[in-house]
Amino acid sequence: MKRYDLIVVGAGPSGLSAAIEAAKCGMAVAVFDENARPGGQLFKQIHKFFGSKEHKAKIRGIHIGEELLAEADAAGVEVHLDATVTGMYLDKEIVVRQDDAMCHYKGDSIVIATGAAENMVPFEGWTLPGVIGAGAAQTMMNLYGVKPGDRVLMLGSGNVGLVVSFQLLQAGCEVVALVDAAPRIGGYGVHASKVARCGVPFYLSHTITKAEGTDCVTGVVISQVDGSFRPVAGTEKHFDVDTICIAVGLSPMSQLLKMAGCSMEDNPKRGGQVPLIDGDGQTSIDGVFAAGDVSGIEEASSAMIEGRMAGISAAAYLGYCSEAEKDEKMARFQGDLDSLRQGMFAPANRGKKIEKTDEGIPVSQSLLTKGYVGDDEITAFPGFVKKKGIHPVIECTQNIPCNPCQDACPRHCIRIGENITALPAVEEDSECIGCGMCVASCSGQAIFLVEEDEGAGTARITMPYEFLPLPEKGDGGTALSRSGEVLCPASIVSVKTAKAFDHTALVTMEVPLEMADRARFYKAQAENRKEAR
Amino acid sequence: MKNTADVIIVGGGIIGCATAYYLAKSGVRDILVLEASPYIGNGGSSRNGGGVRQSGRDPRELPLAMWGIQNLWPGLSEELGVDTEYTQEGNLRLGKTPAHLKILQGLTDRAVACGLEVRMIDGQEVRSINPFLTDEVIGASWCPTDGHANPLTTTLGFYKKARELGVHFVTGIPVTGLKKVKGRLRKVVTPEGVFEGEKVLVAAGYESRAILDTVDIDVPMVKSKVEALVTEAEPPMFKQMLGTAEADFYGHQTKHGSFVFGGHTGLEACEKDNGTPISTSQGAPCTCRGIMKYFPALSQAKIVRSWAGWLDDCIDGVPVMSPVEEVPGLFIACAFTGHGFGIGPAAGYSLAKMILGEETPVDLEPLRYNRFIPEI
Amino acid sequence: MAVIDRSRDLGPFVPGPDDDLLICRCEEVTKGEIRKAVHEGMFTMTEIRRYLRSGMGLCQGQTCSRLVKGIVARELKISPAALEPATSRAPMRPVEMTVLGKEGKARS
Repeated sequence: MKRYDLIVVGAGPSGLSAAIEAAKCGMAVAVFDENARPGGQLFKQIHKFFGSKEHKAKIRGIHIGEELLAEADAAGVEVHLDATVTGMYLDKEIVVRQDDAMCHYKGDSIVIATGAAENMVPFEGWTLPGVIGAGAAQTMMNLYGVKPGDRVLMLGSGNVGLVVSFQLLQAGCEVVALVDAAPRIGGYGVHASKVARCGVPFYLSHTITKAEGTDCVTGVVISQVDGSFRPVAGTEKHFDVDTICIAVGLSPMSQLLKMAGCSMEDNPKRGGQVPLIDGDGQTSIDGVFAAGDVSGIEEASSAMIEGRMAGISAAAYLGYCSEAEKDEKMARFQGDLDSLRQGMFAPANRGKKIEKTDEGIPVSQSLLTKGYVGDDEITAFPGFVKKKGIHPVIECTQNIPCNPCQDACPRHCIRIGENITALPAVEEDSECIGCGMCVASCSGQAIFLVEEDEGAGTARITMPYEFLPLPEKGDGGTALSRSGEVLCPASIVSVKTAKAFDHTALVTMEVPLEMADRARFYKAQAENRKEAR
Repeated sequence: MKNTADVIIVGGGIIGCATAYYLAKSGVRDILVLEASPYIGNGGSSRNGGGVRQSGRDPRELPLAMWGIQNLWPGLSEELGVDTEYTQEGNLRLGKTPAHLKILQGLTDRAVACGLEVRMIDGQEVRSINPFLTDEVIGASWCPTDGHANPLTTTLGFYKKARELGVHFVTGIPVTGLKKVKGRLRKVVTPEGVFEGEKVLVAAGYESRAILDTVDIDVPMVKSKVEALVTEAEPPMFKQMLGTAEADFYGHQTKHGSFVFGGHTGLEACEKDNGTPISTSQGAPCTCRGIMKYFPALSQAKIVRSWAGWLDDCIDGVPVMSPVEEVPGLFIACAFTGHGFGIGPAAGYSLAKMILGEETPVDLEPLRYNRFIPEI
Repeated sequence: MAVIDRSRDLGPFVPGPDDDLLICRCEEVTKGEIRKAVHEGMFTMTEIRRYLRSGMGLCQGQTCSRLVKGIVARELKISPAALEPATSRAPMRPVEMTVLGKEGKARS
């Protein structure tokens, strides 16, 4: 029986991280993944990650995936693809389907990093073709280059719903609405803002009551809900759609752990059935560890750190590193994990209604219920300034652990400080050179450059732009507000792309001076846009 | 929770639930069923291959099996208000070699002597009944009145109906021992307290042995872990229950369309588990190879699940079903040796009679608890 | 492990307006069937699955278990977290008989 020092099930961010850490300590490691490509969810994540440099902030998920793979390869990790682990048995034995046969392997230690799967919510017509998970839509678009549909309604305003809605827009789909039964948007405000300024309406405190169609989805009905989440009669709204995306959370795919007899618990805070694990990530079965979403739904950044923790723990468990070395590394990893788990969206804050930022500024309720910060609210935040000459305007209004903007500016115009959840501020005496690095580095696409010309009565707004086709200098179109409302005519003054911007184009449009604080998106002339909402 | 009852039944599998049902149907009002696991029917009752057969049975239990098939099974779905999926389309026990046929002939002769309609047929006739079998099958024993059913719905059906009739079921409550009071069995000891009953039936599978031990009664049985698997739904192919002389697989196609098959690795007697019956990495593959030797047509059918279960194997291959004279008030029904499902309803019916002091439909003397004597 | 008294009175089964909503897509089990089964004595996820086949289809409950749990818990008036999910078993993905029966050589 072929026996490895460590077997890792799942070649996603946590699995690869565990394998790398263990292999660096000298362990013979094999990773098995059922997919044809490694990287788990990373290869669908075309957006830039948050966090700090240590957490791979501002790097797109796909590149993080590539980096991990290269690191695993260099460390001598065997990665087996198209290898479905069909079971985990007694004596730390797994059976893997490879090339139409069943192969048996044993591990002195095993890390289960199988991730999570999407939840569903039933409503009349939910079994019609056209109702798909948001993750499935993301796979179709980002892995296979297939448009899931033409007109989409998204259910769920957590980060998955918000991010995938934006990606649907990028793929050329029309997102007719973003719906959530909760009274407030669950994901980051900046993700919501990206979608809102494209004109997508948010319907909070609403739910889907019916998907229409006989052979496939042709329409959808949503209704407002009351305090007990029951639909309120008479509040129905109808949309013509061919696709309904469901983003209502994930559940850990912990079946292998359950099958082998690990002690499990049902933990709603962790997403469902998770193994009981100690500080090392070890389950109730000696030598079997769990890391990443399978042990609790979080995100890729925390999954990678948890993977490293499991990897070093497995190494120490089998004598491939000393306890002292393990303790030192674990302390460092725990520190990284803790810094990620701070801020408004920290696991500890889930469910709490946060009224003010750490700085004492009232959190924008408009952002939480409609997806955009109100024109009157934005001025209260330290990222919003009015200055002579070109300067950044940072519309980041929630405490989240993220600081690439601070590192991006060569003139140190942007300050966050030691605590990476602090709101970014524009330094009083800073001299902006208009390079646009901050605009491109902001994973939330929340930074703009504004240059007002009082004499000419115009203002130039530089925005991050991730749609194709790119506008061209001289094009004429319309400027949209934060809420996607048509504001005024706009003309394109410049379109800058650079390798350092990593596929985020910097589009500068000229608008009337009085729109300087309101114009935040651009739509080309040819497309029909909704007028006021 | 009340801690007394007229009848206490230890074990919520098909035997316990069926007995409870037939007792309640006869008018007994105060019945308590104590099940150790969190679920009704969690032992062999929910893990077996669904066979409802007479053929292949030991003559000591064959009359009871025949009685059950003639009198209980046909009307069971209607009586319980569940779909037991009882299908009486016969049983083919297949042979590929002359040695197999000799085994099958022996079984057939024994059964015929008990009055069962079963006969040997040749390969051609086998394939006229089931055209999907390979040419390698040279013969079989054929019992037209055998069949199969759904053990999950049947067991839960008995539970549901008994509960409707007022039987009191409690799960998650293991019985750790029994105690006599003034010469009669009265006490049933659990971590939740002591229950007292006029009559006590122990129908707890292998665990019965340790429980009975506390009143100095022994049922000589061993455990073995066997495995089964189920495929996705396939278009209807055949309705017979199947088995082989070599016992390398057995099973049937269910109403749902999926195939349920069990197999045999030869390692069953020494298996271990992790607190619950866990499959081995070799069991399902072995069963698949066994099946494909007879049914190449099924080679593309997808297996969706495999499972395992512990058998309570009696030293002489048939169950213990009897009152225990030396412990008045005690009744035993266990050690069904992996073939308790098909005979379950009849067993429950008979145990109810036994408990009520009435005559059982067939003579159960050969299954008495004190039959175990040395060969010399 | 909790002791569960199956004689607990759940009250009568009251039909609901969405009882014909499909919950288990693979086996086409409706909300009403699940609710009714609870009233017939099926108080656990395992019994519901064995009784109705919900969770026995191709996806082995990946899609519906959470939904079934919520429905059963509501009917029993308990928290869903108090309901033990049903067991997980091999194979984690459907495997053809011919593949499952073929022992492969472990490879590097």
